[in-house]
Amino acid sequence: MPRQKESQMKTSIFLAAAISALTIMDLSAQVPTQSPAATVPPPPSTFAAPNLTPLGARALAVNCSACHGTNGNSAGGAIAGLAGMNKEYLVGQMKLFKEGKREATLMHQIAKGYSDAEIAAMADFFAAQKK
Amino acid sequence: MNMNRRTFLKSTSAAGAVAVSALSGCATIGNSGPKVVIVGGGYGGATAAKYIKMWGPHIDVTLIERDTEFVSCPLSNLVLGGSRTMKDITLSYETLQKKYGVKMVRGEAIAVDAEKKNVRLASGDSIPFDRIILSPGVDFMYDMVPGLNNADAQAKVLHAWKAGSQTLALRKQLESMRDGGVFAISIPETPFRCPPGPYERACQVASYFKQQKPKSKVLILDANMDIVSKPGLFKKAFVEMYSGIIEYRGSSKLVDVDTRAMTAKLEFDDVKADVLNVLPPMKAGSIANPFITANKRWCEVNWLTYESKNVPGVHLLGDALQIAPLMPKSGHMANAHGKACAAAVVALLTGEQPNASPTLTNTCYSFVSAEKVVHVASVHKYDEKDKTMKTVPGSGGLSAAANELEAQYAMTWAKNIWADALG
Repeated sequence: MPRQKESQMKTSIFLAAAISALTIMDLSAQVPTQSPAATVPPPPSTFAAPNLTPLGARALAVNCSACHGTNGNSAGGAIAGLAGMNKEYLVGQMKLFKEGKREATLMHQIAKGYSDAEIAAMADFFAAQKK
Repeated sequence: MNMNRRTFLKSTSAAGAVAVSALSGCATIGNSGPKVVIVGGGYGGATAAKYIKMWGPHIDVTLIERDTEFVSCPLSNLVLGGSRTMKDITLSYETLQKKYGVKMVRGEAIAVDAEKKNVRLASGDSIPFDRIILSPGVDFMYDMVPGLNNADAQAKVLHAWKAGSQTLALRKQLESMRDGGVFAISIPETPFRCPPGPYERACQVASYFKQQKPKSKVLILDANMDIVSKPGLFKKAFVEMYSGIIEYRGSSKLVDVDTRAMTAKLEFDDVKADVLNVLPPMKAGSIANPFITANKRWCEVNWLTYESKNVPGVHLLGDALQIAPLMPKSGHMANAHGKACAAAVVALLTGEQPNASPTLTNTCYSFVSAEKVVHVASVHKYDEKDKTMKTVPGSGGLSAAANELEAQYAMTWAKNIWADALG
C-alpha cells in the first residue's frame, strides 16, 4: 500500500474513533432525546415485507395491547382504549404523532416504527373490535 | 331409504357436534385438541397461554407454575420505596383458568424430553405435549459469587430480582437499618433482567431514605463502565433529586461477598454496607439448560416461531432468550414474545405458515421517585437477511425529562399489561 494512502487511512480511522468517542460523550453529557438506534448508522433495509393480511394486521395490533388493553380494550385510567375506534380517526392521529404535530410523551417515538400501510391495517383491526 | 336418511342425519349431526365442541374450547373437552404445555407463568408464559386459547380455542393449554400467585417485577421497586404494597403488585391466575380454559398445574418442571414429548415435574408426574413453550425467566449464577453460594448467605444478602418474598424481605431490611447506614446494590455486567431496574431501585431506596432516614446513603456498585439504560435521565435524577444520598461507581465488578462482615468484595476494593443487595450474574432458568446455545447462558431462537435453534418443538420466551440487538430483557418484551409465539404455535398446529414479518414494541417505565417517571421505548422488526429483530431507524426514544404525567401512564400500563397477560 502506498505510504500516503496508508497514512490517510490511519487518519480516517483515527477520525472515526474520535467522532464515535465524541458521540458517546455527548450522549452521556446530556439528556438524549433520540433513540439509541439513531446514533448508529441505520442498518441496510432488509426488513421483511410487511404482512398486511388480517392475521398480519392482528400481529401488528397486539403490540398496542400491552398499554391499550387486549384487542384495544383499555382497563381505563390514563391510556385510551382503541377498540371500536373510527379507522380514519386512528390513522389521522397516528399521522399527527409521526409528524410530531400531536403532543406526546412516547407515541411519536412508537408511531415512527410503523409504515402508513401498517397503521391502516392496524386501524382496520381496531375498528372491528368490540368495546 | 328413510332409515338410511335418518342414519345419515344422525352421523352428520354427531360430526357437527364434535366440530362445534372442538371450536368452543371448553376446558372439560379440551383433551381432544393438540397439547401445548407452557412452563412459567410470568409475563411471557401467562401471555402465551391466554393468547393461544384466544386464537386457538381447540388447543389444550397447560400452564405449569411454581407459585400460587403472579407477583409483578415491574413496580416492585415501589414496594422498596414504600409507595406501594405487595398487594398492589400481586395478581391471581383465576381468570386464565375460568375465562380462557387454561389448565394450571402448580409445580416445578424439572426436565423436558423433547423426543418423547413430555415434561417431568418434581412431584414425579409427567405431562405430554405436542409443543412446549418455556418461559423460565432467569437463574442466578451463584457460582460466580462463592460467598453467596449457600442458602444461609442468600437469606442474608438478597437479590429481590424476582418479585415476591424477597421484595418484602429487602423492604424489611431497609426499614430496620439505622439512619446513617449504607445500602449498596451490586449490578452485574450486561445482559441481565431489566436493564433500568437497578437504577430505578437506587432512586426508590434513596427516596425512602430522603424522607425517613436522611443521613443514610445509597451506593451503586456497577460492573458496567456506565449506567446501561437511560443514563442521562438517571444521572439527572441522582444529581437533582438525590444529591448527597446516591453515589454511583462504574467499573465496580463484584467478585465475592463476605456475609459475616457484610462486605462486597470488588476487583480492587472492599465495600462495607449495612444492607447489601446483590444482583448476581444471570442465565436462562435451569429448565432451559438443554437449549442454551449462546455464551453458556442464553437460548437462541428462530424469531419467526420462537422455536429453539437446536431442538424442534421446543419454544422459548422472555428473559431466557439470547436477545436481538438493542432488545431489553423486560416484562413488556416477554409479553410481546408471548403473543408472537402464541400466533406461531397456533399456526404451526393448524398447518398454517407463521407470520414472516413480525414486529415487536417495547416500553419500559422507571419511577425515579414516587411521582416521577422516565421511559425508554423501541420498535423491533424482523430483518430477513440477518434473521434477527432490529430496531426501526428513527423510531423509539426516551422521555425528554422525568415527569408526573408518565407516572399515570405507567400505572395504566401496569393495569393493561397485567390484564393482557392474565385475563
